[in-house]
Amino acid sequence: MQQNEGLLDSVILRKKILAFWHNRHVSSYQLELGLLLTPFLLGTAVLLLLPMLLTIFLAFTSYNAFTPPQWNGLQNFITIFQRDVFWIAVRNSLVYVSFSAPLQLLGALLLALLLYHQRYGVREYRIAAFLPSVIPEVAYALIWLWIFNPLYGPLNKLLGWVGLPEQAWLVNTATALPSLIFMSCFRLGEGMFVLIAALQGIPPAYFQAAALDGGSRWQILRHIILPLLTPWLLLLLLRDILLSTQSSFAPVYMMTEGGPGYATMLLPYLIYDEAFSHFRLGHAASMLLVMFVVMGILLWLVYRLLGGWGYTDEI
Amino acid sequence: MKSSFLESLLWQVAAITITLLFVTPLLWVVTNSLRPVGLPPPRTLEWLPQPLAWSNYSTIFHLIPLGRQIGNSILVSTVGALLTLLTASWAGFAMVQLPKRWQGWLVGLAIILLMVPSAAVWLPRYVIFTLLGLIDTYTALFAPAFMGTKSLYVLMFYWTFRRVPQELFESARLEGASALLIWRRIALPMAHPTALAVLLLTFTHYWSDFVDPLLFIKSEERYTLAVGLRMLQQMAVTNWSLLLAAVMVMTAPVILVYLIMQYFIRNESPLTRLLRG
Repeated sequence: MQQNEGLLDSVILRKKILAFWHNRHVSSYQLELGLLLTPFLLGTAVLLLLPMLLTIFLAFTSYNAFTPPQWNGLQNFITIFQRDVFWIAVRNSLVYVSFSAPLQLLGALLLALLLYHQRYGVREYRIAAFLPSVIPEVAYALIWLWIFNPLYGPLNKLLGWVGLPEQAWLVNTATALPSLIFMSCFRLGEGMFVLIAALQGIPPAYFQAAALDGGSRWQILRHIILPLLTPWLLLLLLRDILLSTQSSFAPVYMMTEGGPGYATMLLPYLIYDEAFSHFRLGHAASMLLVMFVVMGILLWLVYRLLGGWGYTDEI
Repeated sequence: MKSSFLESLLWQVAAITITLLFVTPLLWVVTNSLRPVGLPPPRTLEWLPQPLAWSNYSTIFHLIPLGRQIGNSILVSTVGALLTLLTASWAGFAMVQLPKRWQGWLVGLAIILLMVPSAAVWLPRYVIFTLLGLIDTYTALFAPAFMGTKSLYVLMFYWTFRRVPQELFESARLEGASALLIWRRIALPMAHPTALAVLLLTFTHYWSDFVDPLLFIKSEERYTLAVGLRMLQQMAVTNWSLLLAAVMVMTAPVILVYLIMQYFIRNESPLTRLLRG
């Protein structure tokens, strides 16, 4: 009996030790997991979160990248608000985004409606429509600089061939910004694939029921497809609006440098110019802040105007 | 719904027309990159220049140090892609094994980070890199790889690893395997398609990156191809055939990678497709 108890004790002790070791091991395992997660979290903190806080700080300082920043309150904002070029850039940026984002979305929607069925060759057509979206942005800007070139560019040759008058495109103040908007419309591959995926997710029974009820194609599009796509369309529109701040920089930098006059002066380029040509990093930071406040207001307006996420069930 | 022959025909015509709209500019670029240098501007639309000047492609290598720039681009893109593979798959692997509540938080964070446009961080990153002494180094160019380049890649790995039965990780852990070993031996081999997709996407991301080298690289011998193109543009303003040849040198690898992805990566989550950009 005594012996047995001793045995039992030792068994219990061994179990306890094992459990203790096991627990410790689990916690060290979780430590290892934490280590694996560290690069992502630390990198995000240093490269995304810190920069955003730094922008807010720099917006209220005078800073030229060589001497330490000096706090100067709202002075930056007063200065930039008094500059005409700033307001021109704000207006141009709003014009740019209010045409390019919806046009990209419309193009993506039309292409998705055309290319979502399984048909002969559909895969190749989708790949082809995506091609302009994969071209590196410098190369894309140069290609379009050539296409728009009044003398050498194929666009004017094409117009001449059809019998239409040739244009000066980027050289003319009236057509420069529309030209930039036009070239951005072909970069719609991602939107197209998202919408194709969304369309393929609509249960075929919906279409069959509508067809049985004698609905025309337009009615099916208007009353079934579009309402079901609303959340996706809204999401893509918000995304395109935000991304326009980064995608509009390279074309302006490579093709027009804001000109002719200030016809294509957009905020990202103006901010770049302030920061890296004139080394007024404080001013640039306050412009950056204003740009994202304006973008925020725009996103909110679009969200409200389109009535929130619409139908969210069943997709 | 069975469609009639006429309808299919109409559809094919529409699809081909629209496709041409998207492909023709690129075809023009290819043919006009072969137009002999020094010709007067064309009078009409030139589909195929005569004679074909293949020498354009060697000329640009003499005009600017294109070979060196390609080398720099390959270096930065390769390091960036490999580093991203490590950090993004580590993060995704760690996330799936954390408590559910933390997973939710981290996924939420990753999705919010997706919405941050890079324009928001160009300027402050310049300030931070100046403080860290990273200006004019390759490290400044592939620095985003330390956080997985884009949180999207972390999410891709997270979603992939979540489809793996968690008991596999669990049992290996009870055998006493370390997290790194489980990641290396069990998790990563099960995520081959995702890993390949992330490698290719990040490679083209760093290859195409223009703003970062423009801002962070000062000395010409560290220029990447993207900035080299700008350099060539300033040197040969009206020499369109040369510029277009350089455009092709930069674009062809990206298109190749894209076609490889389309034909070889068949894990058809819609996500693998919308990831570029």
